Amino acid sequence: MTAAIEVRDLRFRYHDGVEALRGLNFSITDGECAALIGPNGAGKSTLLLHLNGILPERFDNAASVFVLGQPVTDANLEAVRRNVGMLFQDPDDQLFCPTVFEDVAFGPQQFGLNESDIGVRVRAALSQVGLAGFEKRSPHHLSRGEKRRVCLAGVLACEPRILVLDEPTSDLDPRGRRELKAVLRRIPATKLIASHDLELVVELCPRAILLDEGAIVADGPTTHLLNDEALMLAHGLDRPHILQHRHPH
Amino acid sequence: MRHDFLDHHSRLDSPVHRLSAEAKLFAALALILATVLTPFVAPLFFATLAVFLIAVALASRIPPGFLIKRLLLLEPLVLGMALLAWLQPNGGLVFARIIVKSTLCLFTMILLSNTTPFSELLGALRRIRFPALMITTLALMYRYLSVLVDETERMQRARASRTFTGRRSHVWRSLGTVIGQLFIRSTERAERIYAAMCARGWK
Repeated sequence: MTAAIEVRDLRFRYHDGVEALRGLNFSITDGECAALIGPNGAGKSTLLLHLNGILPERFDNAASVFVLGQPVTDANLEAVRRNVGMLFQDPDDQLFCPTVFEDVAFGPQQFGLNESDIGVRVRAALSQVGLAGFEKRSPHHLSRGEKRRVCLAGVLACEPRILVLDEPTSDLDPRGRRELKAVLRRIPATKLIASHDLELVVELCPRAILLDEGAIVADGPTTHLLNDEALMLAHGLDRPHILQHRHPH
Repeated sequence: MRHDFLDHHSRLDSPVHRLSAEAKLFAALALILATVLTPFVAPLFFATLAVFLIAVALASRIPPGFLIKRLLLLEPLVLGMALLAWLQPNGGLVFARIIVKSTLCLFTMILLSNTTPFSELLGALRRIRFPALMITTLALMYRYLSVLVDETERMQRARASRTFTGRRSHVWRSLGTVIGQLFIRSTERAERIYAAMCARGWK
């Protein structure tokens, strides 16, 4: 079976010379929900941008990222972006249309669907994230959590097979976090979630990949990784409270 | 935080607001063209236009104070140009012409934008097959103007909370920093928005 995402010796250096990724190797199987954890500046966002072909800006050498068996290159960027939906960190960056409807419809429009199909997809995506009836609202009048869910609807409307999420619960209040978690749990797609919200990681992701200084430090069952207090502290994380009352067996 | 300074009163209910966006768009365009193209020898024509615009303004139920304030806010730009024109021979007439014509055009645009929500205006432009790229640019401008204003307000507040002297020079200097910061932040945001657009298939 081909992996949903396969990364082979992925390296990346920013223009200013900072080496952000130093040879990553991992693969994520179809239907898996994995977490990407690590301190700030570990390279999590940089890695995620590679999964959608936004980075590198030019594909010069052989591909090191494969999505559903296809290499991520200029030639099949469109197919890759159809398969991989990406939720960005700041919802204001992602909600760029004047109304919620137009924003959620943006992806399907780019894929050339007709008006009525687009309408169906938008309504389905909005009800999937619990925001049915929000079509005419404008993004800047929404709460933080609602914005985040509209972003997610915009991604879901493209019907991706893989979802890549960058800090989906950062700066959400507990209710926003709870609602987003419930939505994520219902989505059957393969998921890779980069997050500092370790409770979310424990609740949603059976597997975690620990990234630090552009390299993978550990990759394994979430409870196993997060229970290793020494490992967590060494890489700027914490052993989450949720695990301190639970014992691995 | 006010978010709709561009089309602040566009969601009121009045006979003018109820007109279709297309009708208002074409009417505004026609008025502006007529203002610009009519030679400045028929004062009656311009007086009639002014009376018509004032009548529309009254019918729209937008607070007159708001309209006057908005107009005064934009007037310095017109005044700058008009003053330059005054320096040429026979400048007085040119000065008057620029002031009158620009003010009428500005007033028309202020009325249009405050009686029609911006997204409806964009919809009308789309239906009359205005170039898609221009519409996208306008839509992005409208969407991010409020984000930018929020960002400026946050920076100003943060600056104020650490400003202890009331000296003018200090305020002006830090204003420069705020503007510079804003510019950098906007370019970075523009890059992130572009990435987000690409991620959803923008070509």
